[in-house]
Amino acid sequence: MDPILTFIVVLIGFYGLSTSSNIIKSVFMVTIIESGIILLFLNLGNYQGGSIPIFSEQVTSIVDPLPQALMITTIVIGSTVTAMALMLSIKVFHYYGSIEWKDVLGREELKL
Amino acid sequence: MGDLTLIDASAYALQVLLIILAIAIVMHKNNGTIIILIASFSLVTASLYVLNSAPDVAIAEIAINSAIIPLIYVISISRQREYIILDKVNDDFIISDNSFTGIGYVILKRFADFYHLELNITNDPGLCALGEGEDQVLCEATNVDLIITKDTETNQYVFKGKNSSILIHKLEQLTKDHDNIRVVKFKDRDVGE
Repeated sequence: MDPILTFIVVLIGFYGLSTSSNIIKSVFMVTIIESGIILLFLNLGNYQGGSIPIFSEQVTSIVDPLPQALMITTIVIGSTVTAMALMLSIKVFHYYGSIEWKDVLGREELKL
Repeated sequence: MGDLTLIDASAYALQVLLIILAIAIVMHKNNGTIIILIASFSLVTASLYVLNSAPDVAIAEIAINSAIIPLIYVISISRQREYIILDKVNDDFIISDNSFTGIGYVILKRFADFYHLELNITNDPGLCALGEGEDQVLCEATNVDLIITKDTETNQYVFKGKNSSILIHKLEQLTKDHDNIRVVKFKDRDVGE
């Protein structure tokens, strides 16, 4: 495992977030960034020689279980955030008539 | 020691695959393809979690991010371009001979095909029972995009929609030539200035 390669995934996600043209694409990119950050945290607690944190008689050293417990919470909360963002995108479509960022943010022609 | 290098090699291969999938998700234009790519992206990350000795996180990732989240994406994208129309007119403007062949439906169908929308025409008796004055409240409080009523004095059909929507302005330009159709746009009352 190389943290640099995982960090590249996070950077690709930020690039996509800044260049995405509609709201659904932005939600996809948030999912990618989240997966990359979870992978970075798990790599932080994982060290050589440690086994998975399940207790038994033969196990002497385990990896750090604290990041794993936190990352399960992150996955669950991330899924609810995704569902909430998609619901808000449907409301945005019914209000502005479009989900493209250029229509939603730059609507000078509508300010009558 | 041989097993360790095998695990390292597969971890590197999966990480390179993860970068390729991320670039593919950024580059693709079609949202339906991206959903499949997101699901496979989650599967690759789940196997990387196992290699990082976190099998419990991998179980949660597979169950949530590669099964439920693509389902939510599919539902929301199919609902995304839905244009809800409340038909309060009881003559042959929309429905004639028990089918969608009225002149109003032909106009709306051409409009929907041009902007890639899906028409959803409802005739809900609970919503239609509300009076004319309630139309603006109905438009603001629900997801209804367009309300069709009939003006009995001038014998015109009235299309009512939110002023903030781009589509109602496009519909006004489209129905400029028709004399018996009038478009009314509701201004925001408490949002904005």
